[in-house]
Amino acid sequence: MRPLASLFKGWFLIRRDLSSSRRLFLTAVSFVLPLALWCLVSYVDWIWHPDIKLQLSSEREGNSTVFTAGDHISPGYYQEMVVATRAENTRLLASTPPPKSSKRANQKLLRQLAPVAISHDWLPYTEAQNDASIYHLWRDIATGTKIPTDPALTPENLDIVKQNWAQLAPLAADFSLASLPETPLLKLIPQGLPANPVYLPAPHEVWRSGWRDFKAVPPEGELSMTQRYQHSLRVILLGFFWACVVGVPIGILCGVFDFFSKLFEPFVDFFRYMPAPTFSTLLVAVLLAGDAPKIALVFIGTVFQMILVVSKTTRLLDPSLLEAAQTLGASPKQMLTRVVIPGILPNLYNDLRILLGWAWTWLVIAELIGVKSGLTEFIETQGRFRNFDRVFPVIILIGVTGFVTDQILSWLHGIIFPWTGRGNPIAQTFFRILFWPFRQISKLSDRAGTPT
Amino acid sequence: MAAALQLPSYLEQSPEVASRFERLRQRPVALEVSGLTKTFETTRGTVTALSEVSFSVHKREFMCVIGPSGCGKSTLARVLAGLEAPTSGDVRVYGQPVSGPGPDRGMVFQSYTLFPWQTVKQNVMFGPLMAGGSRNSAEAEARQWIELVGLTKFENAYPQQLSGGMKQRVAIARALANQPRVLFMDEPFGALDAQTRCQMQSHLLDIWKNVDITIVFITHDLDEAVFLSDRILVLDPHPGRVREMIEVPVPRPRHNDQLFEPSFMAVRKHIDNLIHPPGQEHHKENPVLRLVARDPDVV
Repeated sequence: MRPLASLFKGWFLIRRDLSSSRRLFLTAVSFVLPLALWCLVSYVDWIWHPDIKLQLSSEREGNSTVFTAGDHISPGYYQEMVVATRAENTRLLASTPPPKSSKRANQKLLRQLAPVAISHDWLPYTEAQNDASIYHLWRDIATGTKIPTDPALTPENLDIVKQNWAQLAPLAADFSLASLPETPLLKLIPQGLPANPVYLPAPHEVWRSGWRDFKAVPPEGELSMTQRYQHSLRVILLGFFWACVVGVPIGILCGVFDFFSKLFEPFVDFFRYMPAPTFSTLLVAVLLAGDAPKIALVFIGTVFQMILVVSKTTRLLDPSLLEAAQTLGASPKQMLTRVVIPGILPNLYNDLRILLGWAWTWLVIAELIGVKSGLTEFIETQGRFRNFDRVFPVIILIGVTGFVTDQILSWLHGIIFPWTGRGNPIAQTFFRILFWPFRQISKLSDRAGTPT
Repeated sequence: MAAALQLPSYLEQSPEVASRFERLRQRPVALEVSGLTKTFETTRGTVTALSEVSFSVHKREFMCVIGPSGCGKSTLARVLAGLEAPTSGDVRVYGQPVSGPGPDRGMVFQSYTLFPWQTVKQNVMFGPLMAGGSRNSAEAEARQWIELVGLTKFENAYPQQLSGGMKQRVAIARALANQPRVLFMDEPFGALDAQTRCQMQSHLLDIWKNVDITIVFITHDLDEAVFLSDRILVLDPHPGRVREMIEVPVPRPRHNDQLFEPSFMAVRKHIDNLIHPPGQEHHKENPVLRLVARDPDVV
């Protein structure tokens, strides 16, 4: 009883650190909890599932609103769709002689099955109107060569597939518009599952779509996901790099010399309140299409904040260190290079880490200006088609990239700046071994440079 | 008990102490301060921190500056080191006027001010490197100074891995590595615990014995001032001006037992009276105390 009770004790102590195992546990929970919530609203039907998400849709006579697989509708309207489609089929079977129909209408009807094939990877998502393949799909499902499982067809729909194929098979083995029957085929009854109302796809759907998109070989002239990713990384890194090249020296100068502080900071302070995206049209006009205006936008978005943050960090350096250096005979230039710069480096490094995080926000806006590009273009396009299962993997990818970069940089902090006392002994040993040759070389060159 | 203890006058010097002071006075003047005034402009008007301070320190002398808080001790140290310009008056080191900080005057601060990104050795090498020395000679030099302050085992440690006393030893070694002619120490042991402070005082005297250096030591600790110095400069507060220059009649070499010798206690008591004039502070009645019933055993 006692050990169990102690398990619940001491979780809430004001300004006290938890034990390392509890910390680790909570870190895991902080990721597991949202994931579990996501799973709940995705997989548990009675939690927040007021909508029906269509897996199979149908077009009805006299109804101009077209719903496709993936759309959300209310349960009431779903029932109405199912009943109406069934009624249409019953009327069709009852009427003699059978009514006339256009071959075009039948072609459209056959395409109803495409979403099922796409979700099984039998058909690439770009081939939803590939009638030849869809025609064979009808055959394969009717003959039982292919058995849909996710989504599985209802027995009712499976029966409709068989009946329709019985009508098609004698006419032609392969698709041709000319050989489609003149009489209407039976319509597939809409199928759907309860869903949450926010177009939040289930984890497995996101995983599947993401996997598919990243493995997909893109059509001629389009970029693969990896290329888009590389493009986005290139834009953000170049923008950030130029921001550092300009922002860090100016920031340090502002922090050290009141002259530069008063000369630059008032304007920078003003300029940073002008949102960077408002310059996008100007940037495109001046720098033309391509990556240049995008890199410039990330640059503008980052550099002004950087100047202010770096100058503040520089001012935070203990002034008594500078006084000590002065009494040790350091010249102003030496104070700058031997005291200010090494002294602020650890804080500067952390500033840049935070600024790099902000730069990702600018990246997303940057990729939308001029010619849309990179990951954002994909998010934009797929979002418009409500393919949120394809949008989420990209958003998650950006999140993971940012998070992992930051974690690595944070880990490196202790190695690059061992004197801050946050070092990881294993990592330090590793880097000491890694840099051993360089140290030897620098020692040798030191020795060579010293006249004895 | 107190009445039974008859202390000699603090001016009374034994023949050997007197002859030593005679010899000290013959030495060249290392530091000469004349008519030093320092004022600060604040929003409330002009504040005079130091007013007409004049004194001189001879070569290899150990002088302490003492005074109540707010008497401008630290300002004096900063002006002497050249970190602040005097409003009027001048400071000369071996006849050379001081116009700014320079390697001929070392400074040890209370807050250690070690460069946290450098190891002990690199910190001590800083001065020689700034002076344009080669890395190898600076390193060799640094080793000697580190050995002098007894930190050879820690030469590759970073400051944040050291205790306060060790940090201050590094700071002393770093200042000495520059081979300054005068060393200013601004309450260097103020942040240390009593035990460490005691050790550091003996250690500092050891160093002083072995190094050609003149020391001006700022402190607010009476025992420290008497124990360390040849002469003590007592400052008055608001504005800081020289109250008295006292020759410490305690013979050298100094050791901890001397703390209870009559000459030591005489000079200590005299300074105490100068800084805390008797009957000034003890008569403050605290109303809260009245809430407690008188206890004959607690007086």
